[in-house]
Amino acid sequence: MTRTVHRIYLWIYTLAVIIALIGLGIYGYSYYRLPIEERFFHPDYANLKPSGFLGHGLGIIGSLLVTIGVFSYMIRKRMKAFSRVGLLKYWLEFHIFLCALGPVFILYHTSFKFGGIVSLSFWSLVAVVLSGVAGRFIYLQIPHSIEGRMLSLREVQEMKDDLVITFMDKYNIDLSELESGSSIQINAKLKELNLSSSELKNVKNLIKSQQKLIKRIERLEFMQNIFKYWHVAHLPFALIMLIVMIIHVVVVLVMGYKWIF
Amino acid sequence: MRISAQILFFFLLFAIFSNAAAQISPGELSKSHSFLEGVSNCTKCHDLGNKVTKEKCLDCHKEIKAGISSKKGYHSSNEVIAKDCFICHNDHHGLNFKMLKFEKTTFDHLKTGFELKGAHSKEDCKACNCSSCHKAAFIKDPELKKKNSTYLGLSRECLSCHEDFHKGKMSPNCLNCHGFDTFKKAEGFNHNTSKFPLLGKHKTVSCEKCHKPMVINGKSQPQWEGILFNNCTSCHKDVHEDKFGQNCKKCHSEESFHVKKDNGNFDHDKTDFKLLGKHQNLDCKKCHKKNLIDPIKSDHCSDCHIDFHKNEFSKNGILPDCDQCHDNSGFTETLYTIERHNTSEFRLEGAHIATPCILCHKKQEIWTFVNTGKACIDCHEDKHKGFIREKYYPKSECTKCHTVNSWRTINFDHSGTDFKLEGVHIGKSCTVCHFKNNETGLVIQKFEGLSKECAGCHKNIHGSQFDTNGKTDCLRCHEQTDWKKNIFNHNSARFKLEGAHAKVNCEKCHKVVVTENEKYIEYKNNQLLCSDCHRKS
Repeated sequence: MTRTVHRIYLWIYTLAVIIALIGLGIYGYSYYRLPIEERFFHPDYANLKPSGFLGHGLGIIGSLLVTIGVFSYMIRKRMKAFSRVGLLKYWLEFHIFLCALGPVFILYHTSFKFGGIVSLSFWSLVAVVLSGVAGRFIYLQIPHSIEGRMLSLREVQEMKDDLVITFMDKYNIDLSELESGSSIQINAKLKELNLSSSELKNVKNLIKSQQKLIKRIERLEFMQNIFKYWHVAHLPFALIMLIVMIIHVVVVLVMGYKWIF
Repeated sequence: MRISAQILFFFLLFAIFSNAAAQISPGELSKSHSFLEGVSNCTKCHDLGNKVTKEKCLDCHKEIKAGISSKKGYHSSNEVIAKDCFICHNDHHGLNFKMLKFEKTTFDHLKTGFELKGAHSKEDCKACNCSSCHKAAFIKDPELKKKNSTYLGLSRECLSCHEDFHKGKMSPNCLNCHGFDTFKKAEGFNHNTSKFPLLGKHKTVSCEKCHKPMVINGKSQPQWEGILFNNCTSCHKDVHEDKFGQNCKKCHSEESFHVKKDNGNFDHDKTDFKLLGKHQNLDCKKCHKKNLIDPIKSDHCSDCHIDFHKNEFSKNGILPDCDQCHDNSGFTETLYTIERHNTSEFRLEGAHIATPCILCHKKQEIWTFVNTGKACIDCHEDKHKGFIREKYYPKSECTKCHTVNSWRTINFDHSGTDFKLEGVHIGKSCTVCHFKNNETGLVIQKFEGLSKECAGCHKNIHGSQFDTNGKTDCLRCHEQTDWKKNIFNHNSARFKLEGAHAKVNCEKCHKVVVTENEKYIEYKNNQLLCSDCHRKS
């Protein structure tokens, strides 16, 4: 997958979630804004109520999206048999996409009515999603291999050293001297080299990567520790969400609410 | 770390399931269903695998079930009967959710099986609202009666809400007679199905006219039963005071008392006005201008007849009625007799008795009776005017000469004139002396300028032989008492009759002389000598 195709994918993911969030919000605004006691008398009640055609459908589809998003990523990540199926990075993005779009659907399925056992599932969902967003931020702070594997401190140090050597060979500059300099100092030094504009841009990027690496190296251990704790929150909430969701689905089916079936 | 996660996970699971029983509900139940809160109660409404069924609802709501079974009330209407209860009465929408919500102003009450018509409809009865009828006081069912607010339990029977105005005297089904618009008008009541069908004017008479108010149980209300109606006079006043009997229908119909039935057997003589004389042949409309039964005044002739005499007989503003002088046989005839006339200021005497009224009382175009005049000349022409001096009949008073019996009877005292009547003059008709033929042969009267001399009237057959100073005095030889009686004494004449002369006829000596102008016996012949008559031989 080329970088462009990947970007298009990401845009589609993002837009799909935003469109779903805003579109459904606009569609059902007049209904969702009503107090619970008055919703029954809204003309769209039969469609937008949690057991309505759209409301129930959103719940079912949202649940499936989340379920697929969770388990597909878990299988890919944890089962060796699937460890070579696609880059883990893409699976993570797909996991994030489905687990973002699914909760949006589920949010509208609840029709913003958060009560009973199922609300536990919903709030767990919220916790999982929020922790996912936080986890994504932490994840970015930890350098990964192209496959998405987390790199160790040593591997990162090697990356940094490789960059210094590359710089020395190419531009005859000791990058380590610039590491601690301010941007004004760096710019002054780069001027002395009389580089072409494209080269200058490339050099500046390399310097930025170098600086970023240095910072990451500085907090790598901290981030790795946080990430371990993050799993404690993200995974159990996901499990709670799924278990309660199953209970909710079972109760609903027992009561006879089978959507279109 | 993994252990910590597991602890957290199981803690949460415990938290979930320990509280799960109360958490399955998708929302709080409304107040009326709040007693069903709790997971153990779910199946009281929910049919497992089959959502919420009507049967579950109706198992509790027996009053609705009873209504549906008996096909009564809104829930048995076509609009509702096929629907699940939860379509209208949902729940799990919070404690304050109104399970029963409908627009009172637009609700079609007809669907309940009881259409709000007339005064029941809001348009007609602004003061009305649902609670005017849907209140405990009108609900019979003791269980429903206890409910704070319910639209159930009302009966369609009028008397379930309305007071029995008739106090059980009439059918409990008010709609047999009354409509929905107003109670006062019994629009639906068909009086014709009663023992007294309403015919003619009875149809438009207000009920109260016949059904008079009476007090029942301390309340005033019309009497609907026990009203006598065998005779019209049960309600109507007999204005004829039983003159025509009690069966008004003989002459009247229900259409109007003012219209008489054209049944031809009406006896007018039973009225206060018997038809007599000419009245018998009159067309009814002559008197009864509008309706035959309209009362008309008949006390006086003038109530119908115009005063032909134009108030002429009015005295002190009081007009005597026609029957003073006329009767039913017609106005041409009169009851005013000569005797009555004689009690008036002008007695009828003599020739006046036989004189037709018209001669005095219709001297011109119109009849006049009062101001006819009492003087002779008011009626009679003064034929002597200009011929006789007024001193002989002042103010043309005829009776100075004439009597009322006849014009020809004259009682004039001629002695008051310059010519006293004597002898045969006394018995002569006035006309002999006073009426003469003139040259043209016309009779003319002459009272003035007549000569007192005999020759003024009488013809002098003696010529001028006896004239003295140009006049002949007849009375020297004639008497007024007897003209032919000769008072002439021949012996006082120049030739006395003596001897044989006394026996000789007059003609022997007095011969007829005929002159050119006249012919007369010559008495003064101057034959005084014997030889004048006798021959000498």
